[in-house]
Amino acid sequence: MNTSTSTNVSSSSVSHAQQVMNKLEDFDFPYCDEVTKYEKLAKIGQGTFGEVFKAKHRQTKKVVALKKVLMENEKEGFPITALREIKILQLLNHENVVNLIEICRTKATPFNRYKATFYLVFDFCEHDLAGLLSNVNVKFSLGEIKKVMQQLLNGLYFIHSNKILHRDMKAANILITKNGVLKLADFGLARAFSISKTSQPNRYTNRVVTLWYRPPELLLGERNYGPPVDMWGAGCIMAEMWTRSPIMQGSTEQHQLTLISQLCGSISPETWPGVEKLEFYNKLDLPKGQKRKVKERLRAYVKDPYALDLLDKLLTLDPNKRIDSDNALNHDFFWTDPMPCELAKMLSQHTQSMFEYLAPPRRRVVQQPHAGQPGHQKGMQPSAADGQYHDRVF
Amino acid sequence: MASLSSNWVRNDSSPRVVDFKAVRCIFESGIKLEAKPQAVAMAATLYHRFFEECNPEDYDHYLIAATCLYLAGKVEENHLKIRDIVNVFHKAIHPKLEPLDLAEEYWLLRDSIVQCELLLLRVLKFQVSVDHPHRYLLHYLKSVQDWMAPDIIAKLPLFRTCWSLLCDFYHLPSCLCYKPQHVAVAIIYLALECYGVTVPYNSDAVLQWHEVNIYVFYHNFISM
Repeated sequence: MNTSTSTNVSSSSVSHAQQVMNKLEDFDFPYCDEVTKYEKLAKIGQGTFGEVFKAKHRQTKKVVALKKVLMENEKEGFPITALREIKILQLLNHENVVNLIEICRTKATPFNRYKATFYLVFDFCEHDLAGLLSNVNVKFSLGEIKKVMQQLLNGLYFIHSNKILHRDMKAANILITKNGVLKLADFGLARAFSISKTSQPNRYTNRVVTLWYRPPELLLGERNYGPPVDMWGAGCIMAEMWTRSPIMQGSTEQHQLTLISQLCGSISPETWPGVEKLEFYNKLDLPKGQKRKVKERLRAYVKDPYALDLLDKLLTLDPNKRIDSDNALNHDFFWTDPMPCELAKMLSQHTQSMFEYLAPPRRRVVQQPHAGQPGHQKGMQPSAADGQYHDRVF
Repeated sequence: MASLSSNWVRNDSSPRVVDFKAVRCIFESGIKLEAKPQAVAMAATLYHRFFEECNPEDYDHYLIAATCLYLAGKVEENHLKIRDIVNVFHKAIHPKLEPLDLAEEYWLLRDSIVQCELLLLRVLKFQVSVDHPHRYLLHYLKSVQDWMAPDIIAKLPLFRTCWSLLCDFYHLPSCLCYKPQHVAVAIIYLALECYGVTVPYNSDAVLQWHEVNIYVFYHNFISM
């Protein structure tokens, strides 16, 4: 048996190599289906991770999402991030986690220099939360918001109990099917974690999570972090259910920390014991004397007192005190009237898919600085540490 | 697959011997590269799973072995540099030759590993999660140790023997046939037999000690 991934030209003779190539082009490799069994319908996403397409199985007509695996660093072989994502998705089988159907590939041809491309094939979800929130015609009732958050926290509870961190929580990565089922998606930055023994702290990269959803411990350089990093993102997303746009749109790490301090109060060892040991605590300019005003500031949008209380607990500076998914699910917010209610009915009024990528430009927020490419973004002012940007926060 | 074996090693021995040599090469290289034991075990497992699917005569076993170690490093979050793998494998297979120059042969080998990794992933259908016996072994050994007289434990190199047996176990494809818990118990059993040591009160027990371990495990598992 031979394979179509083979590209090495034997040194013996070129014509022999040509024969092999010809043979390979007709070769039917039994282990990994060709992506041509799906018909691409539309591009629905684009990011640092690559492209995502909506597609349809040519025979069964099943609609799927195809996510291309970027083979940028081909010298190092199959990207470890993609491998992690595949491994993690194979492990996680849950109603609120996106379902990986299979992995497909393109045929190796002279046009791609005999280098096949791989696609992850997912169940298709009609909307993403960022797309829904950017559409003014989509209105969530309190019960529906509760349902969204309950499913989101349920998904986080599941992945955290499987020792997985998502590390890229943001509204665009929260998918919702037309039946109102929420799915956590994009595990491209996810990884397994372990509770570190005191002798040997973990050393994970802190260059993860889209800046606007990045928790203070990561911004301050923590490398021994855990599930609370995702809970912070859940808090930002929860607030966004009312504000309709990301609540803290920093342009640099420094600016993001300033915005966080203005909302959650000054970062200090009194409110957060041990914070002074973090690498950037003394290197960054942290506003002093700021009062915590999570509830006060969000009250303009959020009327429900239980919602405000849960937001306050999610947006807690000290990761050790931040509420975990289990306790969040037990919060009164989910167990008082109006109780969480199905989204299907509300979504049935909208027959068009809503994705952040497809949202009309007018309503699209400025491209979000993603983990790994921080710094100044076009169209954004440089960071200001003096807190002049209150108005941009909400 | 374009071969680098023509000037590496000829596969003229029986498949079992070739497997044994190739896996030994994985272990030797893994130790030299200070890879984690799980990564080395993963590499051996990937290697055997690959040849469960594919005809051994079609592939260069050492190239597959090197690729398995490279991929295992990624899977087990224990990144190994592809350059180091090429060099260490080359040295393991040709102890007498000079190290490779940064010339065509080196680049071909490197490229082959990258290509072969894709082949491996596809043949294994991207199923690269394995539950290793290692953690069960350590856990069970702790239990057995607590149950035995301290002076016997102090006298015997029980842990080391078990560890060596576990490593040896990976040299043949039969390592794919058993559950990790069973492997761990069997290894402890064998090691104790080797030293002629019995677990105290075992003859009076309702269940043998190794049955208890499995029993406890299944109980935990079912209640989960």
